[in-house]
Amino acid sequence: MEHAPTAPAPMSPEEKRRLEATFMRHINRGQVKYLKAGHLDVIETDRRGTGFTDAASGRAMYDCFSSAGSFNVGRHNEYITNALANAARRMDMGSPQLISPVKIAFAQKLVDLAPGDMNRILFASGGGDAVECAIKLALGATGKQRIISTVKAYHGHTGFALSANGKEHYRGYCEPLMPGFDFVPFGDLEAMQQAAADDTAAIIIEPVQGEAGIFTGSPEYLKGLRELCDQRGMLLIFDEIQTGFGRTGRMFACEHSGVVPDIMTLAKSIGGGLYPNAAVLYRDIPLLTDFVDAHADFHTSFGGSDPGCATSLAVLEYITEHRLWENAETKGAQLKTALEELMARNPRIIKEVRGIGLMVGIEYIHEFMGPMMADALAKHGIFAAYSGNAPQVMRFMIPITVNEEELKDIIGRIEAAVQDMKTLLPLALLAARVPFLLRLLNSEKVQTFLFGLFRSVEDFISRIFGTGRKTS
Amino acid sequence: MTSDTTLFEQYARLFGPGHLAQLQSLGHDIIEARREGAWVFDSEGRQYLDCLGGEGSYNLGRHQPQVAGELCRQLEETDQGNFPMISVEKARLAQRLAAFAGNGLECSIFGVMRGETLDCACKVARGVTGRSRLLAFEGGWYGETGFAMSLSRRRDANLYGTMIPDTGTIPVNDIEAARAAIDNTCAAVIVELMQAEHHCRAADPAYLKELADLCREAGALLIVDETQTGFGRCGRKLAFETAGIAPDMLLLGEALGGGMFPIAVTMLTQRVNAFLNEHPMIHLSTFGGSDLGCTVAIKALELYEELKPWEQAAHSGTMLKEELEQLVSRTPLLSVSGEGLLLSLEFADEDRAREVCRAARQHGILATVGRVRRNCVVLRPSLLITAGDVEFLLTGLSSALQDIA
Repeated sequence: MEHAPTAPAPMSPEEKRRLEATFMRHINRGQVKYLKAGHLDVIETDRRGTGFTDAASGRAMYDCFSSAGSFNVGRHNEYITNALANAARRMDMGSPQLISPVKIAFAQKLVDLAPGDMNRILFASGGGDAVECAIKLALGATGKQRIISTVKAYHGHTGFALSANGKEHYRGYCEPLMPGFDFVPFGDLEAMQQAAADDTAAIIIEPVQGEAGIFTGSPEYLKGLRELCDQRGMLLIFDEIQTGFGRTGRMFACEHSGVVPDIMTLAKSIGGGLYPNAAVLYRDIPLLTDFVDAHADFHTSFGGSDPGCATSLAVLEYITEHRLWENAETKGAQLKTALEELMARNPRIIKEVRGIGLMVGIEYIHEFMGPMMADALAKHGIFAAYSGNAPQVMRFMIPITVNEEELKDIIGRIEAAVQDMKTLLPLALLAARVPFLLRLLNSEKVQTFLFGLFRSVEDFISRIFGTGRKTS
Repeated sequence: MTSDTTLFEQYARLFGPGHLAQLQSLGHDIIEARREGAWVFDSEGRQYLDCLGGEGSYNLGRHQPQVAGELCRQLEETDQGNFPMISVEKARLAQRLAAFAGNGLECSIFGVMRGETLDCACKVARGVTGRSRLLAFEGGWYGETGFAMSLSRRRDANLYGTMIPDTGTIPVNDIEAARAAIDNTCAAVIVELMQAEHHCRAADPAYLKELADLCREAGALLIVDETQTGFGRCGRKLAFETAGIAPDMLLLGEALGGGMFPIAVTMLTQRVNAFLNEHPMIHLSTFGGSDLGCTVAIKALELYEELKPWEQAAHSGTMLKEELEQLVSRTPLLSVSGEGLLLSLEFADEDRAREVCRAARQHGILATVGRVRRNCVVLRPSLLITAGDVEFLLTGLSSALQDIA
């Protein structure tokens, strides 16, 4: 890893306990339990390049989560950091209503990079807000009432974005949400055709479903969606919040298929891992431009702030100058091949390897393996998160600045983690044969409890014997 | 000037001519260059007293040097962080906020902007109570996100299909209407103590107290939206603190980031947060609770506590309001409303209000129209505005009103 091997003064166990107590009292107790159960209770310090150091253990870790794809340019990238610092020395957030040279410069640069005739832009505050804006734009411009989304889709947590989410896990307690959303299985063009109605304003889709567990839309599927939209007078919205800015091996994932959506939402990595920003790009077609021109204030936003735009402009400069999408493509292919080999050697653990570019996922045979593997990986210095939305899938989204040596190291550590898991597995697999126990093991609550219990015992033993948890 | 013209043309190409027309109709067609204290400077060095207030971000003034300095310093130490993680930055800010808000509002869920804080509160309210009905004060403007929009009064509300179901409004200051509406199907009632976008309409304290009682009796949560009124804007640290009510949730907006970082927060009591402890991570925000943002907000909170800008805001606001009231009847100004440094000026119609904004700009003042009552001009200057600035504002507004008379 780029950062110095000598860790900063580690946080003492007492300090960490105090921090956790504060976090549990003032933020969330359940979250701490959940993170501890999966050995994800690391305290990020010395955040540099492809990783960080856990302040509590002093262990250097690769960041394979990247805050769900926010760190494409790497942690604390000097070029981006300097751009933000320079902006912050001169400017505050600016007035959302007013314009400034840096807002225009960033908007122009993004539009220049955008595919096809996506010549128009709106700023948003974050990913969810960009989706809210896109949904309003589609409904407002067409005057229609319905939107088709996909099963397991993930588009955000605010009202309309959540309404487009295709997973009960996030929606359940918040219903009823915005009506008019139809959900069809991802990758099934026929289902999409059947769902399309005269009153359908748009299809909203991630070209690669991320949170759902890394499912790549094939070029044929995405082209089919484009044709369907053209035939039925529907708008095509691509949510490229996770896939944008080089992650999949192209600047934008839509370039793989050559499909130009009508509306595209962008966030996460646009902020360089430092400062919130987001944007909605849309095509220069009267249907959309007429609406926006007539309703200039239909979506006002705190995005597009001056420091945000200075940061995002630097991100675009850095990615294009280093052609980072090419690195994502080659390193992604290497990683995928290595993981496929690992799968061939471990068919009882890994069911499938999926992904494109540096957006790669492993699917385990059983859901309960997700937290187990997170634990094994953490011990080997790999921070990777399984999602509550799909615990059987581990997502690997390393900063796309990763170099050859780091990637080899990462692969070696993943292999070691799988090896470790094998020793624990016989017992769990035995239990998995009993349907009732499998259901139990696959329940998130039971996992949190069970792995939390293992964790407490482990912590207790290491305290007694003073072995610490420094491995790797 | 050529470069400015080019920028405006570029703006119109990228964002649409409608956006540029909007700027022009409000006299906002300036390039925002240097910012300092209560002031903004354009690319030609002309200065304007900023009454836009970044929609409620600049309570501490423009480009507050200590907050800006903290952002630069913390950039060396930290970054956004992985959003689900435990971090020193998040824990510290949450702890400080609990002390700042008091009233048992001990827990924080971070977001980026006001709409997100409201949507989060609505979702939590539904989860906690197992009920779906959400009620808000009528005539409010709560943000751009789904729940916020569904509860707001917007002239374009019918353009976006069907809003989120089981959302409704109650008329402000009508306790009988509240009694009829709030029953045991109601998850929460969302109130703003002063509706900034509605000619600064204030909720009566006695009414609020009764409303809070109705909520408690019905088992509905009381959500207080202070994204516009908080952090001293109305001449008190938090507007609700003199109302004698105890919110179950409190929304604090962009002023939390001291104008240097977009951050906002939904605060909850332990009783309400118990639901999220049971169901952690069902509401997420990648940018909310950014570690870097938390450090900036901690610095801003320190400044709020140290400078107590509400004291100055109360004083300047009273003076300003009294003087502005002198202009009613002598000029097109119909009425003045508001408290502290959240003031609203009423005119005959929207065109007139926009004309006032354009005229004010000619006298070095930037202001905008209300989003709900669009015939009003809202003033939201820095809370640390000096006596000289207040004088400038009065003279400028007075001249602007005479210009259009």
